[in-house]
Amino acid sequence: MNRRLFVATSLSALGLTACGPVKESLTMGPFRGVLLSTEKLNHEVIGTHGMAREYADADVDLEFRVNGLDTPADSTYTGLVRNTFRDYKLRVDGLVDRPQSLSLAALRAAAPRTQITRHDCVEGWSAIGKWRGVPLATVLAMAQPKLNARYCVFHCYDVDESGTRYYESLDLHEAAHPQTLLALDLNDKPLDPDHGAPVRLKIPTQLGYKSAKWVNRIELVADFAPIGGGAGGYWEDQGYEWYAGI
Amino acid sequence: MTTAAIDAARAHGAGTRPGETIYRHTVAARTTHWAWALAMLVLVMSGLQIFNAAPYLDASDKSDPARRVLAFDSSTQNGHVVGTTQIFGHTFTTTHVLGYTDDGDGGQDARAFPAWATLPGMQDLADGRRWHLLFAWVLVVALVTYLISAAMRGTLRELVLRPSDVPKLLPMQLYYLKLRRDPPPHGTYNPLQKAAYTVVLFALFPIIVITGLALSPGVDAAAPWLTWILGGRQFARTWHFTAMVLLIGYFLTHIALVVSTGAWNNTLSMITGWYRLKEHDGVGP
Repeated sequence: MNRRLFVATSLSALGLTACGPVKESLTMGPFRGVLLSTEKLNHEVIGTHGMAREYADADVDLEFRVNGLDTPADSTYTGLVRNTFRDYKLRVDGLVDRPQSLSLAALRAAAPRTQITRHDCVEGWSAIGKWRGVPLATVLAMAQPKLNARYCVFHCYDVDESGTRYYESLDLHEAAHPQTLLALDLNDKPLDPDHGAPVRLKIPTQLGYKSAKWVNRIELVADFAPIGGGAGGYWEDQGYEWYAGI
Repeated sequence: MTTAAIDAARAHGAGTRPGETIYRHTVAARTTHWAWALAMLVLVMSGLQIFNAAPYLDASDKSDPARRVLAFDSSTQNGHVVGTTQIFGHTFTTTHVLGYTDDGDGGQDARAFPAWATLPGMQDLADGRRWHLLFAWVLVVALVTYLISAAMRGTLRELVLRPSDVPKLLPMQLYYLKLRRDPPPHGTYNPLQKAAYTVVLFALFPIIVITGLALSPGVDAAAPWLTWILGGRQFARTWHFTAMVLLIGYFLTHIALVVSTGAWNNTLSMITGWYRLKEHDGVGP
């Protein structure tokens, strides 16, 4: 190897090794505002338009990969599992004219939708599942959001090791998308506890972490800043984008 | 120096003899050059950070281990943790280099690429994505700015490979291999440079942007054909990674040639714009 090239290469390698603290301080320092600013731009440019591709039965992953936090183990949730969710009620409240408390039977009675869509995880992997449930728009129409309602916040049964509860949020444009589903079935069977029983959100136009599992309450709000860590969701509070369309 | 002045100087045949200094790189070319250099550094390192979250590539739409082309893994063998790299079904032991590597916190961990190669250093998918999605814009803005300015200036003509350059490619390669005394006559850029710049500007950069966009579920809903023509989402991820490998290959070649053809003169010219002509250097398309 050319001697000068060797020196240049060695210096670059040395530089990269030594720049660990530099990388951390650039990420967390004054530059952080710039790092976070791209999300608004991406939301503007890409947004939520069109329909996610729908697949055929043959494309389905029969063993759909389990993701997210551990299946809830507290007595409230295990009690619901024991009596096959007969006591489960999905509450829809907050800035609505007609708060709802919907049993699984009531949800199943609403006009169902079936969609075979791809789940794209933020980590990079993808899986295809057949989801059947009620479009979120149908449930929102029952509750009649007030004019000042801007977001749906999904409160869930799952908590992490530190006791932080999972939640998610969508704006009403995303919530009204025909493929934004409150899923009750996966691959022709009622959701099992590991996949978010009895009700999970399934939004194929965004990354997997937006599709909250174990949903027990949908709260309509004007602003999600007072909820949780204020960023609009469990993963968002840890630095992930609220707009997960990219 | 203004554009008109450069053109006037060229029209007068100035700067066509070895030792003469000519104004070669415009402000737009120099700015976008360094923007690309920075963007590629950040995009590769943050891309490897993102890749580490799912350290495998499939030639398929959904994830499918049966169509896996590349995978990094770690496992315990005889009480020792080993890192492995699997390429097209062939497994190599790559402990401490790939698969089981430096975690950026003084230890070793099951991570495909080591902390020194990723941004941030420690495992941090969220911030890796923030870096990546910001500098993707830097790459795109620099590409569009450069192409518009170079097309308007006419310098794009000096840089793009033409059919008449094709017969000169082999002689130029022979010259580089010292199997030929003189390079074939050429303009500002030699035929191999033109080939490399043309591929990078019109193939690799656009491909890496398009394959990156195809990974976005939002883009996929708005333009499903994009992911489809790439063979699906996981395949798009595989193409995205492949384009990165090719761009790194281009970068290493670029650095080797910058150094071997006069590191100081080349680097200075990309900072000030002024380049001192050497023997065989031409000017023009």
